Amino acid sequence: MLVKLAWRNVFRQKRRTILPLLTMTGGFFLSSISIGWMDGSYSSIIMFFTNNRTGQIQVHHRGYLENPSIYSTVNDYQAVGALLDSIPGVRVWTPRIYSGVLLAVRPQGAGSGNVFSNSAAASVIGIDPAMEEAATCFSSRIESGEMLSSSAADTFYAATGQIILGRELSIILDASVGDSLVMLSQAADGSSADRMYVIRGIISSGNADIDRNTCYITLSDAQILFALQGKVHEITVMTRSLGTVDKLTDEISAGLVDKDLETDSWKIFAREFYNGMKADESSLKIMIFVIVLVAAMGVLNTILMMVLERRREFGVMKALGTRPGFIIKMIVLEANIMGIISVIAGSILSTAGLLFLSKHGLVMDPPLDYGGTVFREMIASITPECYWIPAICVIITASTVSFLPALKAAHTKAAKALRTI
Amino acid sequence: MTDNDVIVAEGIVKTYDDSGVPVHAVRDIDYTLQKGEFTAIIGPSGSGKTTFLNVLAGLDTPTEGKVWLSGKLISDMSGRELSDFRRDHIGFIFQAYNLFPVLTVEENVEYVMLLQGVPSGERHDRVMDILEKVGIAEYAGRLPMQLSGGQQQRVAVARSMVSRPSLVIADEPTANLDSKTSGALLDMMRRLNEETGMTFLFSTHDEVVMQRARKIVVLQDGKIDGKASPEEC
Repeated sequence: MLVKLAWRNVFRQKRRTILPLLTMTGGFFLSSISIGWMDGSYSSIIMFFTNNRTGQIQVHHRGYLENPSIYSTVNDYQAVGALLDSIPGVRVWTPRIYSGVLLAVRPQGAGSGNVFSNSAAASVIGIDPAMEEAATCFSSRIESGEMLSSSAADTFYAATGQIILGRELSIILDASVGDSLVMLSQAADGSSADRMYVIRGIISSGNADIDRNTCYITLSDAQILFALQGKVHEITVMTRSLGTVDKLTDEISAGLVDKDLETDSWKIFAREFYNGMKADESSLKIMIFVIVLVAAMGVLNTILMMVLERRREFGVMKALGTRPGFIIKMIVLEANIMGIISVIAGSILSTAGLLFLSKHGLVMDPPLDYGGTVFREMIASITPECYWIPAICVIITASTVSFLPALKAAHTKAAKALRTI
Repeated sequence: MTDNDVIVAEGIVKTYDDSGVPVHAVRDIDYTLQKGEFTAIIGPSGSGKTTFLNVLAGLDTPTEGKVWLSGKLISDMSGRELSDFRRDHIGFIFQAYNLFPVLTVEENVEYVMLLQGVPSGERHDRVMDILEKVGIAEYAGRLPMQLSGGQQQRVAVARSMVSRPSLVIADEPTANLDSKTSGALLDMMRRLNEETGMTFLFSTHDEVVMQRARKIVVLQDGKIDGKASPEEC
């Protein structure tokens, strides 16, 4: 009888019911789209950021992240690579060497003398061209010139040395493809590390801050230059899915033979970026809270109105011997029935909206600059969170805001209520 | 107080506060209602009929005085006990029918038995039995809005009696009905009173009702102004 009464009461005045239904459905829809949108955006940003450069997992010598010394190396990176190759969740990996250098450029046609026009301090990254290409699609970001090559057949660059400059760095140095430059640094054995290179390409990674002070040489060149034969500073790991990163990090860490190595996820080595994401998530929570609050106010208002309109009916129920608990349960159930209908309607609408946004996305005009990384399009993702979080919010809201009016109705004074028209 | 007394009221006073002005709705009434009575409380509008009935039924608390219902002192009961007592011992018929609009005739009549926890099969049998008696069994599946005023009041009568209460209280049961329907309803109520022995107490200022009452209590300005038989009115 309780369910029957509640169900029929919900539909007895359709116009009155439509208002809270629309409010709750709207709240569900907005929350769901916001979550899907933010999840999709975060995933896009994180995947873009990590796939473009850092990877989702990195293996270093213990302490390298805090103190990136040239001596803190992964000594047998091939063994680590073999471990990574055996883990199904790892899509690809690539080794890297990092060091700080001083660059001075000698423009084409400047003759054979030591005529250097501009100089700048920079970071050099030694990369394996083929593995880097597989990991980060490095060549797709080369603006002019071409990709580094490890091929022995490439005799010209084998002789001259080859380097790729970040776009902003090339502007600072006033250098272009074909120019020569000299790189000065210190090798791991204490000797002077210097060599001439010909600029083979200019890259625009999408992050101007990085491109302002970064250049790239081949891993083999870097190992020779810095006296790090067979060693690297970092192994960058690309996973198949963002959701498995934490599990894979633990798996890799457990599989490492060399206990001087450590494995970290992007949440650690890109801590600032991760914290930025978390801060954005907080703003999403605030937004959902505001949406829920607005919906709650609307529902509360309608249920209060409904209780006031049915005061006489509650008086009759009380007169007939209905206990207050029955009336409370009936009203809370009515609100929850409306909540469940809203969740169903909201789910259908949200699915349609999320499907559209996940397929077509929104073009950012102007593009969104997130920590120097530029995003031109954002797409939504459809996750279970898009449904269960708004659903729980709607049901809790319905139960909470209906309780006070229900209490009021349950304590209606029968004699007084029966006098009302 | 005897075993035959359904209601015993002593020194009942009910005073309302109307924006700081005390309104004396009921003034020092002593009253006893006995089993099987079919009594009408009559009086002009504002004489305190409804207030008096509400106090007797435990829907309102008296400012002064005591009320015993079937031997139990109302003021000694908690809200829950009083609620359960009303459910089990008093049937109500209201002026405006007050049926639940979302429930069918059968479900409306069944409602109180459901609160009492009567088993489903027994509920159905008793509902159909009382609907037969009040002559609206054929409308069992209809909603109240699909019935005439007289039919709705018959449903209300059925609802008030189906739980087999010791007392049925009716506040102006015919106020919204024409005289022919009123007469028919009262005849039916009186017949049920005779058949079941159930006690009926109702307020009215309707001549048709007065003529059918076996006892009449006259209320004037919140006080009992006399008791009479219908012929004396």
